[in-house]
Amino acid sequence: MVNLAAMVWRRLLRKRWVLALVFGLSLVYFLTSTFKQEERAVRDRNLLQVHDHDQPIPWKVQFNLGNSSRPSNQCRNSIQGKHLITDELGYVCERKDLLVNGCCNVNVPGTKQYCCDGCLSNGCCSAYEYCVSCCLQPNKQLLLERFLNRAAVAFQNLFMAVEDHFELCLAKCRTSSQSVQHENTYRDPIAKYCYGESPPELFPA
Amino acid sequence: MTMKLVHIWLLLLVVLLCGKKHLGDRLEKKSFEKAPCPGCSHLTLKVEFSSTVVEYEYIVAFNGYFTAKARNSFISSALKSSAIDNWRIIPRNNPSSDYPSDFEVIQIKEKQKAGLLTLEDHPNIKRVTPQRKVFRSLKYTECANVRVAVFDTGLSEKHPHFKNVKERTNWTNERTLDDGLGHGTFVAGVIASMRECQGFAPDAELHIFRVFTNNQVSYTSWFLDAFNYAILKKIDVLNLSIGGPDFMDHPFVDKVWELTANNVIMVSAIGNDGPLYGTLNNPADQMDVIGVGGIDFEDNIARFSSRGMTTWELPGGYGRVKPDIVTYGAGVRGSGVKGGCRALSGTSVASPVVAGAVTLLVSTVQRRELVNPASMKQALIAAARRLPGVNMFEQGHGKLDLLRAYQILSSYKPQASLSPSYIDLTECPYMWPYCSQPIYYGGMPTIVNVTILNGMGVTGRIVDKPEWQPYLPQNGDSIEVAFSYSSVLWPWSGYLAISISVTKQAASWEGVAQGHVTVTVASPAEVDSNSGAEQTSTVKLPIKVKIIPAPPRSKRVLWDQYHNLRYPPGYFPRDNLRMKNDPLDWNGDHIHTNFRDMYQHLRSMGYFVEVLGSPFTCFDASQYGTLLMVDSEEEYFPEEVAKLRRDVGNGLSLIVFSDWYNTSVMRKVKFYDENTRQWWMPDTGGANIPALNELLSVWNMGFSDGLYEGDFTLANHDMYYASGCSIAKFPEDGIVITQTFKDQGLEVLKQEAAVVENVPILGLYQIPTEGGGRIVLYGDSNCLDDSHRQKDCFWLLDALLQFTSYGVTPPSLSHSGARQRPPSGARSVAPERMEGNHLHRYSKVLEARLGGPEPRALPACPHLSWAKPQPLNETAPSNLWKHQKLLSIDLDKVVLPSFRPNRPQVRPLSPGESGAWDIPGGIMPGRYNQEVGQTIPVFAFLGAMVVLAFFVVQINKAKSRPKRRKPRVKRPQLVQQVHPPKAPSV
Repeated sequence: MVNLAAMVWRRLLRKRWVLALVFGLSLVYFLTSTFKQEERAVRDRNLLQVHDHDQPIPWKVQFNLGNSSRPSNQCRNSIQGKHLITDELGYVCERKDLLVNGCCNVNVPGTKQYCCDGCLSNGCCSAYEYCVSCCLQPNKQLLLERFLNRAAVAFQNLFMAVEDHFELCLAKCRTSSQSVQHENTYRDPIAKYCYGESPPELFPA
Repeated sequence: MTMKLVHIWLLLLVVLLCGKKHLGDRLEKKSFEKAPCPGCSHLTLKVEFSSTVVEYEYIVAFNGYFTAKARNSFISSALKSSAIDNWRIIPRNNPSSDYPSDFEVIQIKEKQKAGLLTLEDHPNIKRVTPQRKVFRSLKYTECANVRVAVFDTGLSEKHPHFKNVKERTNWTNERTLDDGLGHGTFVAGVIASMRECQGFAPDAELHIFRVFTNNQVSYTSWFLDAFNYAILKKIDVLNLSIGGPDFMDHPFVDKVWELTANNVIMVSAIGNDGPLYGTLNNPADQMDVIGVGGIDFEDNIARFSSRGMTTWELPGGYGRVKPDIVTYGAGVRGSGVKGGCRALSGTSVASPVVAGAVTLLVSTVQRRELVNPASMKQALIAAARRLPGVNMFEQGHGKLDLLRAYQILSSYKPQASLSPSYIDLTECPYMWPYCSQPIYYGGMPTIVNVTILNGMGVTGRIVDKPEWQPYLPQNGDSIEVAFSYSSVLWPWSGYLAISISVTKQAASWEGVAQGHVTVTVASPAEVDSNSGAEQTSTVKLPIKVKIIPAPPRSKRVLWDQYHNLRYPPGYFPRDNLRMKNDPLDWNGDHIHTNFRDMYQHLRSMGYFVEVLGSPFTCFDASQYGTLLMVDSEEEYFPEEVAKLRRDVGNGLSLIVFSDWYNTSVMRKVKFYDENTRQWWMPDTGGANIPALNELLSVWNMGFSDGLYEGDFTLANHDMYYASGCSIAKFPEDGIVITQTFKDQGLEVLKQEAAVVENVPILGLYQIPTEGGGRIVLYGDSNCLDDSHRQKDCFWLLDALLQFTSYGVTPPSLSHSGARQRPPSGARSVAPERMEGNHLHRYSKVLEARLGGPEPRALPACPHLSWAKPQPLNETAPSNLWKHQKLLSIDLDKVVLPSFRPNRPQVRPLSPGESGAWDIPGGIMPGRYNQEVGQTIPVFAFLGAMVVLAFFVVQINKAKSRPKRRKPRVKRPQLVQQVHPPKAPSV
C-alpha cells in the first residue's frame, strides 16, 4: 500500500504540469503576500491624512482666565526644575521661594509672572520654566488653539489628555520629537523648549 | 519558579504588613477581616482561622523542660497507674526535638477521661489539653492605583493574564497596539500577571506604551513623545527593559532626567553584554535610574549581565558603581503572547522583577509623598543582600530583597545616602579593582566616584564642603583627600568623587590608614512641611586604604587613557574588522573595563599599573618605567610630542600597541545608522596611525596603512593577528619580527585573497643615548583587549616589559627565525589622515578652524586641592561593611536550565529573548531588521524554487541512473562554536 502510494506520488511528481502547478502556486503566494503588505502600508498612510483634514480633533482643553475658577489657594507647579519652578498662575520663582501651597511667593522680588526671559521670537526658550510661564500669558491662547487644531497625529495622544491651559503649557514646552535632528542631537541645543507652533531653528552643525 | 517565590514573598509581606498582631495565638473558630491598613485605603487583607479538635490526641504540658526520655517516663508512669496501655507519643521531628521540651503530644485511644485525670495528677505535668488542627487562610489584595508604565513592544487587547490594563498607546509608525514579539507581554506579565505565572502586582494600573515595532525598530523621538505622555499621566513606576551604549544621546538622557524629576521611578535593564566589562547600557547607568543586573537561581551573576564601571567620566575621572542591584534574570517565567507561560533570560527580565517589586512597595507605603526615585532606590540598595565573592561593579549592592526593602521603606525618613556607603580599598573581592592594588606616594590619585542619593527633594546641594576627618590612631594623616562634586544634586542625585593620595611623610611607610568624610546635603523644604526651613541630612563615609612604599620605577607602568577615544559620541570602529555585529569601540578602553584581563595579568606579574587621564605633559616620567599606549585614537598636542621625546631620552620606555588605519577601508566600513538616520563614517581607523607616526617620527619609526590578518606562532605561542597594521619604518639597529599574513585590506575592499610575506609587526629599539629609554611597537591591539579577543598575548607583553623595564632583550624574540632587517620606510606608504574626517568634533586636542582642524591650546593639568584635614582621635572597626541583619529568609534554591547570552544593539536596544531569534545585533538594527522583514517572502520564494529544482533533478536522476549514495562529509564541530548564535536584546 505504502509502496503504491509512493509510486503514484513519484509518478505524479514526474509530470511536468504538477511541477508547473507547484511553481505557479508558490509564485502567486509570493506575489500576493508582498503586494498585500505594500498595499496595507499605503492605506495606513492615507488613513492618517484623511484623519488630519476631515475630522477636527475633539480637544478638551479649557482656557481658564484669571484665578477665579480655581477651587482653592493651592497651586500646581512645574515640579521638575533644578533651580526654577513655575506655578499655574504663570509665576516663575526660585525653588526656595516656593510656598507651602505650591505657589510661588509673589512678594519676593525675583518672582515674575508671564516671564519670557530667554525666549526667542519663534516661541522657543532656553529654560523650561520660562517657556511655561511665557506660554501661560493670556494672549498666547490664540496661538495655542491654532496649534491644537493643527497638531500632528503623533501628538494626539498627548494633547488629547491635556485638560487646561496650564497642563497644555507644561506639555507643550517639553522637548519632543520635534526638538531633535538625527534622533540624538537637538535641533537647537540652547533654545529647545517651545510653546510656539514651529520646531526649534536648526542649529548649524 | 520565581513567580512562585514572589508569590510567597507577597504573602509574607502582606502578613507582616497587616496580620502581625493576629496571627497564631487564638485557637477559637474565628474569622476576621483586617481592612484597610492604616493610611492605605486600597489594601485589604483577609486572615481567616478555623480550628477543630483532633480526636484522641492531647497536648501534655510539663512544669519544666525535660528530655524526651524523661517526658516518656513521666507519662508512662502516670498512665500505668490507671492501667491504660493503648497510648503512644506522637513523634515530632523538628530541629528542636534534640533539646528538652515542656510538652508532649500523646494519643490515647481508650478510657480517655480516666487517663487524662491521672495524667494531670502527676507532679511534673501542668495540664493536658486537646490537640487542635488550625486552618489559616490568607487572602490579600494589594493597593491598586499605582500606575505602572511598560515601555516595550505592546500588549494584545484581551490578554487573559491582565485585569487592570488602563491604557495602551502606540508611539511607533506601525498601526497596531498589539505585541508581535512577546517581549512586551512577558515584561508586563512579570509585573502584573494575575494567573498562571503570577506577577508581582496584578492590581496595579498598567499603562502600555508601544515604542518598538515588530521589527524591533525604535527611535529616540518616539521615546521623547512617549515619555512626555508618561509625565502627563503621572506614572509612578516605569519599566524600561531596553538600553544602548549611547549615553551621549542628550535629548534622551535629558528626558530621562526630566522624567525622574517628575517623580517617575524608572527601572531599567543594565544590558546583556557581559561578561565583558565596560558594557553598561543607558539609561540604566544613570544615577537617577534604578539599574538592574541579572543573576541565576543559584545566585551567580548571569553571564550576560553587563558590568564594569560607567564610562561617562573617562578619561579624567573614574566610573560610578552600577548596576544598583541584581535580581533573577535567567529562566524567569512570564506571560506568553497569547496567554500561557514561558521562560526567558536577560536583564530585560530582571528589570521588570524589580519594577514589579517597586510597584508593590509603592502600594504599601502609607505616606505616598515619601516615595520618590531616590527614596525607592535607597530602600532597595539598603535592603539588598550582598552576594559573596562578587565585586561591586558586577552586583552593585547585591540581590533584591523585597521584604527588607519594605521594612526600610515603612520607617523611611527623608535623607541623603551614599552609594557605595563606605570606601574600603582593602576589601576583596567586593571593592575590586581598588583592593587589587595598594596606593603609594607619588602614584596617580585613586578616585572613588560615589553617588549621592537625596531622598529629601528633587534638587539639593552640598552644604559648605565635604569634610575629611582622618583618624590619628589609625594613621589617617598618611593620606590626603580631595573632592569634586555636583554643584546641584538634580534630579534626586549627584556625584561625590573622592581622590585619595599618600602624603609625602608616608612615602616609605606601609600600613593601613583610616578616616571618614562627612557630607551634608540640603534640600528646599518639602511642600507639606510647616517649618519652611531647609531640610538637611549629614552622611558619614568611612575610608580605609592600604599604603605601601612606592615601588621602583621599573615596576611601574602608566596606562595612557587620555588618548583613547570611544563611542559615544563618534564612530570609532572596532579593532577587529571581522566583528561586524559589534562595529563600535564602546567599552571605554580602560584597564578596569575591556583591558581588565591585561590589568589582572600585569598585577599578577608584580607590576603596578596607573592610569593617565590627562595629557603627557601632566606626569612625572621619572616615576615610571613604561608608558603603555594601546589603541590610541586621539591626536597629540605639540607640547606632548616634545615632552615625550625628552622623557624617552631620559629613560622612560614606550610600548605602543597600534591598530589598523586605512582610508579606503574606513570609507568601506561606513554604514547607514537607522538610529540616527544618517551615514556614519569612521573618524579614525582602529587606531590613529597618522597621529602616532608624528609622535614616533623623531625616532625614525612609523606604522603603515596596511591591514593584515592571520594566525601565526611566535616563540612557541599561538597568536592571532586581528586586523592589524605593519611597521613601515624602524631604525637600522632595532630588532624587527616579521610574519606572513593575509592582506585583509584587499579582502575588505575587493574581496580578493592575497598572502603577504615578511610583514613587520613587532619592533624593539633601545635609544642609543646615555640613560635613554626603549621603544616597542606592535601592530595589533586585539590580543590585549577583552572584547572579541581570540588569543591573548599577555606573554608577549611580559617579554616586552622585561625589555622596557630592565633592558633584557627576550632571546625568544631576538633570536627568532622571524627576525628580519628593519624596514626603511621606502617601500610602504605612511597613511594620511582621512580627508573630511570629523575627529575634531570629538577630540580633546583638535578644534575646527578655517583651513582644517588644528590643535587647541594645551589645557592646564588637573589640579587637586586637598581637603583640610580635621583629625579625630577615634578608631574605626576594621570591617567597615555593616549590614543590617533584620531578617533572614533563605529562599529555596531552585536549579534552572541554562540560559543563552544575548547580544546588544545600539540603543534603542531591541528587546530580546533567549534564543528566540537568530538576528545578530548591530549598529543598524533598524535597517538590518527591515531588510530581514522584507526579504522573508523573497527567501520563501527562492526556497520554493530550490526545492522545485531539487525535485526535478532527483526525478531526472532516478529515471536515468540507478540510485547511489553519497558519503556524507563530516563537519568539524568547532566551526559552529566559533561564532555563537546571537540574538538581539536587552
